[in-house]
Amino acid sequence: MKMVALAYGFIWLAVFGYVFLVGRRLGKLNGEMDELRRRIDRLKS
Amino acid sequence: MTASWWRYTFLIAFKDLRIEGRSREVLYTMGFSAALVVLVFSFALANATDAAQGPVTAAGVLWAATLFTGTVALARVLDRERENESIRSLLLSPAPRSAIYAGKLIATSLLMIAVEVLLTILVGVLFSTGVFNHLGWLALVLLLGTLGFSATGVVFSAALLRSRSREALLGALLFPIVIPVLLAASRATACLFDPLSPDLEPVSFWTRFLFATDVIYILLGLWVFEPVVIGE
Amino acid sequence: MPAQTSQTSHGSPRFLAACAVTFLLFVIACNAIADAPREITMGLVQKIFYFHVPCAWLLMLSTLVCAGGSVAYLFGGSERGDRVALSAAELGVLFGMCVLVSGPLWAKAAWGVYWQWEARLTSSLLLWLMLLAYVLARRYGGPSARRLAAALALFAAIDIPLVYFSVRFFRSIHPSNTVVSTLGPGMRGAFWLSLLAFTVLWSVLLAARLAVESAQARLVDLEILLDQAEEKKT
Repeated sequence: MKMVALAYGFIWLAVFGYVFLVGRRLGKLNGEMDELRRRIDRLKS
Repeated sequence: MTASWWRYTFLIAFKDLRIEGRSREVLYTMGFSAALVVLVFSFALANATDAAQGPVTAAGVLWAATLFTGTVALARVLDRERENESIRSLLLSPAPRSAIYAGKLIATSLLMIAVEVLLTILVGVLFSTGVFNHLGWLALVLLLGTLGFSATGVVFSAALLRSRSREALLGALLFPIVIPVLLAASRATACLFDPLSPDLEPVSFWTRFLFATDVIYILLGLWVFEPVVIGE
Repeated sequence: MPAQTSQTSHGSPRFLAACAVTFLLFVIACNAIADAPREITMGLVQKIFYFHVPCAWLLMLSTLVCAGGSVAYLFGGSERGDRVALSAAELGVLFGMCVLVSGPLWAKAAWGVYWQWEARLTSSLLLWLMLLAYVLARRYGGPSARRLAAALALFAAIDIPLVYFSVRFFRSIHPSNTVVSTLGPGMRGAFWLSLLAFTVLWSVLLAARLAVESAQARLVDLEILLDQAEEKKT
């Protein structure tokens, strides 16, 4: 029972951990892109 | 594989071997560090009362030392092209890129085999094992194992030519791929060193495995060398 | 000119729908796993199989996709191929980790040891190490990192047949490839559902990871645009 829980638990943790890391990076990139777009628009106007 | 392709291949191989023949730098440094690696294993594997010995240990140490110091040979053979940017001249020459790969492969393998002969004797002495029982088979296994290692090594060494972390990365990238070669070669060698083994069937099996692996790795190397070495 | 709203794949309805489908599939699969009959000899521990085998399948799929992308990049100059290769390699490392952790946990219960140096385990470990080396090469490989890694991926791809057929050529303690077809009805359904759920999860993760790489490329374009706009101003 313990082995099953450990195995499934590790897999869930690993997958969610990866999803979290990817999501965080994507959010950061989008933030940087928005910032750059604002600066470009400010310069153009 | 036309006649001119082979001509270029041997020209490049002889060029490297001739440079090496003048300075003998790789041979001496590689030979010395290989011998030291064998010594280190010899001490590390000894237990409290006995020295490490036996055919399996001898074979394993031989191939481990070969692999570790083989990266030295790889790095040096390709490093020469980095100094003076001679890799560019080589690429601009009419030599086909696959011939450059094959030439480097032959040169590296020959250098490694020269050191391996010394290592075999050393290993036989230190681990109290008869190593020259089946000379023909041993030569074949040494050749095939070395070719398998060099086939992959030349590709990665060339790709890392301009990289800063060359030394650190070469081993890290190369070893997972050549472990099957190491496995097959050391199993075959262990059987060859073992006076008590009933027949040479394992040797035949692992030699065939090595041959197949070498063919695949060399074909892949020939295919992949050009786009990798031309660079971004 | 109004600021463009960021078209992130994370917010897009298609992506959210895919996530919902994945979640649903896993709910169904886990239900099926819980309902599946217990294996006679190994009992509850055998249920690790329902996650372990799909992860192994995904390890091999990731390697194949990585190799395919690498060929497209190396010989076709395809930037997209390169992005796919990197994303697939990362997923291969992730699911490879899952295989190499769940396997020994099951092994300890079933065989009494965590690890054995036999053909399938060894070649799976090597495959995982090669994908890890790919990710390392991308990061620290210097100017020709992408080409170096692409070559590595091709050599790693050779390991795939070795992993799958190794059980056939070497007498092994590891269950053979025919286990799946001999599964009982309750187990078979749970297994295939789990495999489906994991494959869908893999596709969604690949799409997300690709979105990050595309966003990275767009960011570089925007920086260039900003430099141009600043130059025009001065």
